[in-house]
Amino acid sequence: MKKLLQKIVGKSPWLYRINAGSCNGCDVELATTACIPRFDVERLGCKYCGSPKHADIVLITGPLTVRVKDKVLRVYDEIPDPKVTVAIGICPISAGVFRDSYAIAGPIDSFIPVDVNVPGCPPRPQAIIDGILEAIKIWETRM
Amino acid sequence: MTDILQPIFGLLIFPGGLFALTFGLFLKGLDRKIAARLQRRVGPPVYQPFIDLIKLAKKEMVVPETAHLWGFRLAPLFGFAGMMVAVTLIPIAGVYQGFEHLGDLLVLLYLLALPAIALMVAGSASSFPFGAIGFSREMVMMMSYELPLVIVLLTVALKVGLATGGLATFSLHKIVQFQLENGPFLFDYTMLPALVAFLIFIPGNMGVVPFDIPEAESEIVEGPILEYSGSGLALFNLVTSLKMVVVLGLGVALFFPTPLSEGFLLNLIWFSLKCLVLMIISITLVRTTTGRLRIDQAFKFYLRWPTLLALVSLVLTLLHR
Repeated sequence: MKKLLQKIVGKSPWLYRINAGSCNGCDVELATTACIPRFDVERLGCKYCGSPKHADIVLITGPLTVRVKDKVLRVYDEIPDPKVTVAIGICPISAGVFRDSYAIAGPIDSFIPVDVNVPGCPPRPQAIIDGILEAIKIWETRM
Repeated sequence: MTDILQPIFGLLIFPGGLFALTFGLFLKGLDRKIAARLQRRVGPPVYQPFIDLIKLAKKEMVVPETAHLWGFRLAPLFGFAGMMVAVTLIPIAGVYQGFEHLGDLLVLLYLLALPAIALMVAGSASSFPFGAIGFSREMVMMMSYELPLVIVLLTVALKVGLATGGLATFSLHKIVQFQLENGPFLFDYTMLPALVAFLIFIPGNMGVVPFDIPEAESEIVEGPILEYSGSGLALFNLVTSLKMVVVLGLGVALFFPTPLSEGFLLNLIWFSLKCLVLMIISITLVRTTTGRLRIDQAFKFYLRWPTLLALVSLVLTLLHR
């Protein structure tokens, strides 16, 4: 019964996007991944939702600047609990070209537990979809 | 005993309850699939709304600290209960008669306002600025699309009433019976403007893209249902899918209720097909091909074109008695 439920649940992951001070490169790549017909993620049952309360999988872009740190942490706390975090781009891993800047609070995984990293600047759409698939696998086990 | 059991059966299993829920969710899935195909995407499977519902029912429900607790919890139930009753009022020709009381069209009009009121209660009870904005926008939308709907219903009632020697017949059962005897209103030129007005009313009532101003996803992040999660959100999803069945079923009953033949199952499939065609014309095509209007534009649009069309139909009906 639990296995069946996990299988059902894995087919409906709703995505939420947090921009933690990114340069918009990864965000454009994410938006096209969802919207452009060729890389349709809705076929996996995904749906972009506007509210963090509806979300299951969180996609974080950007290196977490000092200015947005509190807001990002607050929004992250609002997401109901079985959740999986996917960090997209090189910035969440090491802050990329912005490393050691006074405006950067640090790589994201020192504040938020990151489950899947999708490196690249920006990553290819196929890599993002692959990351989302990995996140779905993790999410099934948590539900 | 049977006269007690029959309404309960009607509410829980056949026209309401089980049938309407599965039918509504399948309509929603088909809507998503067809919209995806129109945008040259693959799209989710048709059974996707069922999966979403199961998942949402399993997730936790977060209630904000500042929210009004009872209003927040009961708002989705209001809409759900109203729609469950409204489904049983819709007659399906050759399958289900509906209630034979005199004023069920008026009752349906009141019940159709309930989901919007539930959204308003939800928006104002969640104590969040975006919810409050969604609440005020929902109210404006409701005031604008109710007027053409009322005139369309009045036109149909007058048409049937004048032809049968009364004044106006506010009974869906009698309206359907009249059309079964004298041919559907779809082929009557005096009723065509009313049909177009009803087709324009549907996207506004369902809150799909050109008129999804109360739930604008990109500016006020789904407005009234923003704070809902888990089972509350699942109930709101059920309310929209039930509302789809009610509105499309009402359209079929008002304008083209003719059954295909004698068979029960065949008539049911025919009714579903008519609902599907109505949905594709008035919801799916509209929402894939348009962008969003502003609230004042939508208000002016509804008070201008559908109202004018419905009034034309009303005048034509009064002239050709």
